[in-house]
Amino acid sequence: MEILTAWLQGLPGFGGMSDQGLFITGAALMATLMFTVMALCAIVFTWMERKVAGFIQSRYGPMRTGRWHGWAQAVADMLKILGKEDIIPAEADKGLFVFAPLLVLLGSLLAWAAVPWAPGFSAANLDLGLFYIFAASSMVVMGILMAGWASNNKWALYGAARGAAQMVSYEIPLALATIPVIMHVGSLNTQDIVVAQQGGILNWFVLRDPFLFIAFWMYFIASIAETNRGPFDMPETESELVAGYHTEYTGMRFAFFFLAEYANLFLVSVIAVMVFLGGWWSPIPGLDFAPALTFVIKGVLMVFLNMWVRWTLPRVRVDQLMYLCWKVMIPVTLLCIVGSGVLMITSGALG
Amino acid sequence: MEQKAIYELLAAKLGEGALAWHEDEVEPWAEIAPAAIADACAFLREDRNTDFNQLMCLSGIDWDGYDEAGKGKSVAILGYDELGKPEVSERIADGDLGVAYHLYSHAQRHKFTLRVRVPRAVAEVPSVAHVWPTAAWHEREAWDLVGIRFTGHPDLRRMLLDEAWEGHPLRKDYMMPAKWAGVPMDGRPYADNPFPTPEPPAGGDQPGATGPAEA
Amino acid sequence: MATGDKNLTGWADQDHVPGIKSELLELNMGPQHPATHGVLRLLLKTDGEIVYQVTPVIGYLHRCAEKIAEGVNYKQWVVYTDRFDYLAPVCCNHAYVTAVEKLLKPEVPERAEHLRIVTAELSRIASHLIALATFGLDMGAWTPLLYCFREREEILNLLERIAGGRMLYNYFVPGGVRYDVPDEQWIKDVLSFITMLETKKIKDYNDLLSYNKIFIERTADVGVIDAETAKAYACTGPVLRGSGVKFDCRRDDPYSVYHKFDFEIPVGMGEMGTVGDCWDRYMVRVREIEQSCRIIRQALDTLPEGPYQAIPLNKMVKVPAGAAYSRTESAKGEIGHYIISDGGQIAFRNKVRSPSFCNLQVVEKVGVGQMVSDLVALVGSLDIVLGEIDR
Repeated sequence: MEILTAWLQGLPGFGGMSDQGLFITGAALMATLMFTVMALCAIVFTWMERKVAGFIQSRYGPMRTGRWHGWAQAVADMLKILGKEDIIPAEADKGLFVFAPLLVLLGSLLAWAAVPWAPGFSAANLDLGLFYIFAASSMVVMGILMAGWASNNKWALYGAARGAAQMVSYEIPLALATIPVIMHVGSLNTQDIVVAQQGGILNWFVLRDPFLFIAFWMYFIASIAETNRGPFDMPETESELVAGYHTEYTGMRFAFFFLAEYANLFLVSVIAVMVFLGGWWSPIPGLDFAPALTFVIKGVLMVFLNMWVRWTLPRVRVDQLMYLCWKVMIPVTLLCIVGSGVLMITSGALG
Repeated sequence: MEQKAIYELLAAKLGEGALAWHEDEVEPWAEIAPAAIADACAFLREDRNTDFNQLMCLSGIDWDGYDEAGKGKSVAILGYDELGKPEVSERIADGDLGVAYHLYSHAQRHKFTLRVRVPRAVAEVPSVAHVWPTAAWHEREAWDLVGIRFTGHPDLRRMLLDEAWEGHPLRKDYMMPAKWAGVPMDGRPYADNPFPTPEPPAGGDQPGATGPAEA
Repeated sequence: MATGDKNLTGWADQDHVPGIKSELLELNMGPQHPATHGVLRLLLKTDGEIVYQVTPVIGYLHRCAEKIAEGVNYKQWVVYTDRFDYLAPVCCNHAYVTAVEKLLKPEVPERAEHLRIVTAELSRIASHLIALATFGLDMGAWTPLLYCFREREEILNLLERIAGGRMLYNYFVPGGVRYDVPDEQWIKDVLSFITMLETKKIKDYNDLLSYNKIFIERTADVGVIDAETAKAYACTGPVLRGSGVKFDCRRDDPYSVYHKFDFEIPVGMGEMGTVGDCWDRYMVRVREIEQSCRIIRQALDTLPEGPYQAIPLNKMVKVPAGAAYSRTESAKGEIGHYIISDGGQIAFRNKVRSPSFCNLQVVEKVGVGQMVSDLVALVGSLDIVLGEIDR
């Protein structure tokens, strides 16, 4: 943000602008940028998801649209979905029905603000960055619950109830898994967390100590659940709940859910990169060029891992999902916090 | 166990209820009085020697017009006239209705066939759904398609057809309704069709048009 | 977990929270629902995720094929049997011609019997592959679906070469089969296909799905049908064998020339949970694929030379008067045909006892007390096909 305002100040015509005006212009630019990134995520990742699924299932995936490996398929799909009729069920709660997808989208969009793309470059360099990200992304739950309730459809209601239970539960291990890292860094600022991992792959938090390694995988599992993707896609579960909370949504509104899903997917992936996988630092010390690109590539690799899991494993049942969360993951992450803390004390890291 | 022996066991138990044993058939079968069929089945199921724990099949049959010489002519629709009205043969159906039970024992590895016949006017047979749970659906199907009412059945609704359907299709005198729920059933074009077939565009010889081109 | 001990009667009348009237939720699963494998409709009464009552509603695909049978002659009706179990149509053909031949008593040539068994077993494998695929899909595993369909495609190609059709074959006629083996290459291709299936592909499915921890969690101890229930509801085929009952028409009530071949009858052993759970039924199918491969290999190795039809194709069949019930083992279970002939060219009555019809009924009993997700697993593991249920 500071970089952006500084850059804006240098532009002809912006020099005489007040600080407030510069801030507002910068914020508007940044929001546009974030939204573009999000929309791009959705487009790129739908295509990628199809190709990955095709690769895993020994088929091609899209091959025609746009000649080269169907690269334009996602764009075409997006255009198609925007051109579809917008249907609101007659018995639906119209206000909530319309508002729900916006809330879901808003939740994931807000969280993007604190993501550190490069040294000093994040939309909002907040001192409580990580906390803010988790807080903002919790809003998605309300959107899903709202969508399911407003649809006036039993399947959607089931999906929403499952989704709410699942996402509220999995936020706990998701956040707990990052606490050992916060203890190491001593800050919630996202920039600080990445800076603390400078100096090659061995300095990344995932390899700092065994508890952090476990915490990383706990985070990864929780993040799959948090994004409602297989094997934890309880709110959707095509084979049980038809399409879960977005059964009744069409066209643009459905696209919002879709957008939010992929934006969330990328978000949790980049948080994993930021917290555990060294952010913008390259694995070999001293080879750090194009930090933003490194960051995005790592994020995409995490997304690939997520897709790999989705297309390989069957789905768990809803009670097993809850069991996993409350009786396995939360105790393990708590153990990680304690263990990591003990290691820090014994190794004298606390001075 | 020999089938004949099973029948003798059954006849001793039922007395009057066991009507006849038909030995010289492709598949020997026992004729049972309708009133005794539930007892017969319960006995065959419970008795240690017979132990028929599986009802393989329960078939409802309309015996109207059955003639072993191959001259059987059922009362049925002969065809449709130009107005779509069915042409029906003159004879009034009067044949019996029947039910056939095919039993199998997993333990004894033997099979047995029972049949009952009831007059068309009565069309009631005691249910055996309490003997084998699987009979419940078979009986519902027989009620649905052949129109045999099974007394004592826990839930005798139509199985395959709609509850509002009239008649029982597998009866030999069944007539397909000309229309059901507003839809014609004889395969003719639908006069009240809300989506009429669009007129073919003028000048059929356009690129992309299908069908034979006018000379 | 399953809570079958909850008392349903009077549940709705109780006030579980003081002052708030609660009742069971009625849920319409189908006829358009991804997990009902066709146009099956399950009327559920649920309390949250727990199902209290299941009422299957069927008939959406009803064509009254038995009435059609009273209007077409014996040979013409073979095509309608294709439409029953459209995933294993050759098995349905087999069931029907076996019934007709029981009355007709033609001298079916050995070669025809061998060809029948080879094609029926291929069809059985194709059907079981779909059963595995769709069951996996019900459990949320997408990838095995594509793998199984890839192998099924091979079977369809093989059957297309011998029977001319890909989906509906109309391959059997009373007294033989319609076509002979196209060429020697066909036999070689079948053998190489089943070798590939036995050595590689089944291992793939097992690695990917059968022994997957999540899959086992989802299917073991779920939808348990005990042996007594299975027999009482006249369940047959993999459903009965999954409950641990070693019964297979092909061996215990032999028809055709199955008695000549050596094969095992896989049964559910409760390896992952209770005998008769969904995993057992699933695994029985996987193991039956292996056994079918064995049968095909033996049948092809001993394929005799000679004619393949006892009755010329263009000759009408007149079946002697009488009634006969015959049963054969199809992919889904036991298909029974009760044919009553009055001596003419057309059957007087032809009752079809379809395995899925009887197997589905058990849902009414076993589905109660399960979770909605488990009900999906149960219905998937029964491997029903609606063409056969509704006829």
